[in-house]
Amino acid sequence: MNCFQTTLRIKVSKDFDIQNIAKLASINLSEDEQEKLAKDLSIILEHVKALSDLELNTEQKEIYIHPLEKELELQEDELVESLTHEEALSNAPESKDGKFVVPPSME
Amino acid sequence: MDIANLPIRKLNTLFNKKDLKPSELYSKIFDNAVGSEASLHAHLTLFEEENIKKAKESDGRFEKGTAQSLLDGIPLAIKDNINIKGYKTTCSSKMLSNYTSPYDATVIKKLKESEALFTGKTNLDEFAMGSSTENSAFGLTKNPWDTDFVPGGSSGGSAASVGARSSIAALGSDTGGSIRQPASFCGLVGFKPTYGTVSRYGLIAFASSLDQIGPITKTVDDSRILFSAISGQDSRDATSIANDQVDIPSDKTAKIGVIKELMEDGISDEARNEVSKVIETLKTSGYEVKEISIPIIKLAISIYYLIAPAECSANLARFDGVRYGLRIDGNTSYEMMENTRAEGFGKEVKRRILLGTYALSAGYYDEYYGKALQARKEMIDEFTRAFNEVDYLISPTTPTQAFKAGEKTSNPLEMYMSDLCTIPANLAGLPAISIPTGVTNDNLPLGVQIMSRALSDESLLNFSEIIEKEIQFDQQPKGWV
Repeated sequence: MNCFQTTLRIKVSKDFDIQNIAKLASINLSEDEQEKLAKDLSIILEHVKALSDLELNTEQKEIYIHPLEKELELQEDELVESLTHEEALSNAPESKDGKFVVPPSME
Repeated sequence: MDIANLPIRKLNTLFNKKDLKPSELYSKIFDNAVGSEASLHAHLTLFEEENIKKAKESDGRFEKGTAQSLLDGIPLAIKDNINIKGYKTTCSSKMLSNYTSPYDATVIKKLKESEALFTGKTNLDEFAMGSSTENSAFGLTKNPWDTDFVPGGSSGGSAASVGARSSIAALGSDTGGSIRQPASFCGLVGFKPTYGTVSRYGLIAFASSLDQIGPITKTVDDSRILFSAISGQDSRDATSIANDQVDIPSDKTAKIGVIKELMEDGISDEARNEVSKVIETLKTSGYEVKEISIPIIKLAISIYYLIAPAECSANLARFDGVRYGLRIDGNTSYEMMENTRAEGFGKEVKRRILLGTYALSAGYYDEYYGKALQARKEMIDEFTRAFNEVDYLISPTTPTQAFKAGEKTSNPLEMYMSDLCTIPANLAGLPAISIPTGVTNDNLPLGVQIMSRALSDESLLNFSEIIEKEIQFDQQPKGWV
């Protein structure tokens, strides 16, 4: 077992703060949900730590987001057909005067 | 033979010879869909009125000899995470239960130009996250071969629809096996094209570097016809690429590799036997077959369940109750967002968003997401090495036959394992197909998966068709036509 794996195990078991993660993800979880999801995530994270045993010569490995290692191309800044204002607002839960309406940001 | 069983090219011939009208085919297909819906629940929406009109227009074109394509008048089912303008696209989520698409996905635009008919929208695991269609907010879909069993997922509705002959073919999406696994469970062909060859514009994103739209069909040729119709570079999807195919042999000069790691532990005897059967057939026909080791495949599930949730947590951040979808009120915008996402997302979606959020959070990014990206690169390199030795890689599509509804819902990891054989092709962006080869002792179908190098989709389809002809799998679920 290498040191990476040891570190990871400690973090999973002691530092796994489900409330903080839910806050970051903007999902309001009930206590019951917190308990169940924390357990599920611990099981999954325990499994994925198998990756830590993988020895990779990372310096030589460039990371690509496109699986075919394609360089993403930029497009010309041209006007093209898009949604109309009405279409863009057509699914809004609330809109007024052509704008989305949301509750206040602060109480 | 029942017309609902016929492949697309044969139907087109009948239309051209005026032995069959598209409106007659549509009428038969619609009756099948209505008849099977109560038992299977393959569809979330069935379209009727507009199709009667469109099928008649198609009749007219065949009458005048002005038909647009092989797909003119062919009834296709569409997975409900692909936008069709003017219709609901729910992703089987409460979050989007009232969302009406204001635009067409590129694949839909192309199919409309081909004058195909859309029979309806099919059920899926919420936001395509799952392997059984049990994660749908609108009820589960059942397997047409045996309704005690799941149809697979996440494109389970599309597979059940084609399986029960409620559509001639269907579109699904495949992020970790969501086309191929349900195709295998329902005795159908499921094809995931090379990443980028089919535009993702208008497909509601789950994991953008893995998602790919593709066909679920009865025959390899039907998949070829659909792939040809929907592929092509699209300026609205920056990751799409020109469909510049590379030609590799499909005749006896082709070299075949059997993936060692996908014939070992965790694979049922039945799934292994199907692969062995195909290997024997190929050897008898004169093909060279050898074992190929791709060791990193053992880590595929771990790599996938870091990369896919990470991308999912970013993609699904857009569901915030502001621009579309559900809104649950709160005193502030933030409260509203938290309440909306708590109410709108189901358990599996929450699980993956939280997992992805964790993997991307400060202090853990390098250990989890960064490491997974490096491992993904290693997987791409190992596949490249394998394809220096062989032209096609063969394996089971699924470790087992279809499982019973409820059997794997209590342990998420067990459910994830059912994608063991299919995930590698998504991680490496490769074309991969599942073709049905046999039935198990429980009379459930099983398929075999074949992969090839990037952009060799057409050669892969040619080679698969050779296997299809040799194996002659001619069984179908009973009682639907």
